[in-house]
Amino acid sequence: MTSLTLATPRTRPLISWRVRKLLIGYSYLVPAALCLLATVVVPIFFAIKMSLYADVLYKPQDYKFIGLGNYIRLLHDPVFWLTLQNSVVWVFGSVFLQFVFGFAAALLLQQAFRGRALVRTLTLLPWIIPGVVVGLIWQWLYQPNYGVLNDLLIRFGAMSERVAWLSSPDYAMAAVVFTNVWRGIPFFAIMLLAGLQAVPDELYEAAHVDGAGVFSRFWHITLPLLRPIIVVSTATRIIWTFNYADLIFVMTGGGPANATQITSTYTLTQAYSTLDFGYAGALSVVLLVIMLAFTWFYLRVTKGIEEPE
Amino acid sequence: MSTARRHAPKDTLERLLAGPVVWIGLVLLTAFALGPFIWMLLTSLKNRQELYATPLQYLPVHPTFENYVEAWTSPVTPFSRFFLNSLWVCSVTMVATTAVSVLAGYAIARFRFAGRDALLLIFLATQMFPSVLLIAPLLTQWRALGLIDTYQALIYSNFSFTVPFTVWMMVGYFSSIPRDLEESAMIDGCNHFGALVRIVLPLAAPGIAATAIFAFVVSWSELLFAISFTTETNMRTLSAGLLYMVGQYEVQWGQLSAGVILSTVPVAVLFSFLQRHLIHGLTAGAVKG
Repeated sequence: MTSLTLATPRTRPLISWRVRKLLIGYSYLVPAALCLLATVVVPIFFAIKMSLYADVLYKPQDYKFIGLGNYIRLLHDPVFWLTLQNSVVWVFGSVFLQFVFGFAAALLLQQAFRGRALVRTLTLLPWIIPGVVVGLIWQWLYQPNYGVLNDLLIRFGAMSERVAWLSSPDYAMAAVVFTNVWRGIPFFAIMLLAGLQAVPDELYEAAHVDGAGVFSRFWHITLPLLRPIIVVSTATRIIWTFNYADLIFVMTGGGPANATQITSTYTLTQAYSTLDFGYAGALSVVLLVIMLAFTWFYLRVTKGIEEPE
Repeated sequence: MSTARRHAPKDTLERLLAGPVVWIGLVLLTAFALGPFIWMLLTSLKNRQELYATPLQYLPVHPTFENYVEAWTSPVTPFSRFFLNSLWVCSVTMVATTAVSVLAGYAIARFRFAGRDALLLIFLATQMFPSVLLIAPLLTQWRALGLIDTYQALIYSNFSFTVPFTVWMMVGYFSSIPRDLEESAMIDGCNHFGALVRIVLPLAAPGIAATAIFAFVVSWSELLFAISFTTETNMRTLSAGLLYMVGQYEVQWGQLSAGVILSTVPVAVLFSFLQRHLIHGLTAGAVKG
């Protein structure tokens, strides 16, 4: 067809235009739907099924249906409860500090200065590099004998003895949280920077004319206008951090003595190291339920804030 | 906004905040973000003696690239192979994800159909899905299909986290393109697909590029699927390979730091090109406009 067809009258199509349009729309969705079906939906049903079986990879002879057996075992597993506690420390420690420093970073990066674009890109680096790279970098910084952190702290007189940060039950969690904070600051910086740029200048100008000081402007203009983006970014970050296993897995493997074992790394350990798929399945279902509860809560909170389209 | 503020006189507090406080803050921020990288870069340039010197030697006196050469050519931990594996897995993931999400994003942005909102919610919820949850079932699934130690297993698995996000990104981009252009193209006799290819795609090109880069960067970081679905050293991706280097013998920090730098450079370069678009895409779902 060419643009000349404008003049020729259309014949009535066999299937009405509306239905056809609908069919085209659906057909565009098929590939994406298949992708999610094969890699998310079906596996979730698999996980639920697995959780009802005694299914240890290297003990195929013991494979049998045990109903809620894995869940009952989970309830009596002190490590599981410990991982939930650790997850709370990990999530709220990480997200709170990421938010505070990320907000400060956003306010700084919003100022006009020479080389701003370069500084913005450079400060985003920790966020875009692979988790395993972050873990290895910090493992090296924390290294007891050759790590630069101990050396600097001793040099400046903050400590007198070397600390084995990642193998000490007292410091390991703080050490991985700090690493995660380093990694996550840019996320909040980007999100909040985008929010700050959307605040109309006239508001600040008007407030200034009315005699509002810099803190009062921040409190009465910046914060309220950023509220939607603060809620959305914090909520997604909480869920994401709760699920995030790479960093701890690389840095401590959950140790020492489960001091840094969070629920997601525990699930990973069961599936990857212990090869206890039944138990891993039960843990996955628990993770899923917690995640769905979070998401439901998040959607309720953001309802009205975020409307697609 | 700084231009707007310039019209009004500044008070002392504000001048202080805009001057020294901002500068000190920026220096600290940049140093904190880059310090660990710089330390890793310095480490990678040191020879063994300098690396394990006591007291700690901060700068490499005789900078050397031998760590890079060793990492790249090592027969035990073939970093060059890891690199190519990652390149292939991420490229295919990127192309497939982009194609899939362009179609789906366009459909969601342009067609009204039953279950549209539910579908959007599903895409949003699956973005939050923990990869750990999928490892055991996907492993069973790929084993049943004979896909262990194949690129396909890694590429398909990557869809689980790339597609939900990129569809969401594409919906945002397509919604920001006015409908009138396609409608007039369709009146001129283009069919839907023609209008998509000739009118919408060129307009959405920056957004599509950003989506593609995003898919590449997140797959580049993927670790858990890579270690779970591959057993052969030759099939490991960069992330999995780096971890494998740690597990091999006593940690070779020289080679490892070289590996870390080599794994960082590609994503850093890609990201710096598309930073603006990517940021727009990431925040498009959160802030309208």
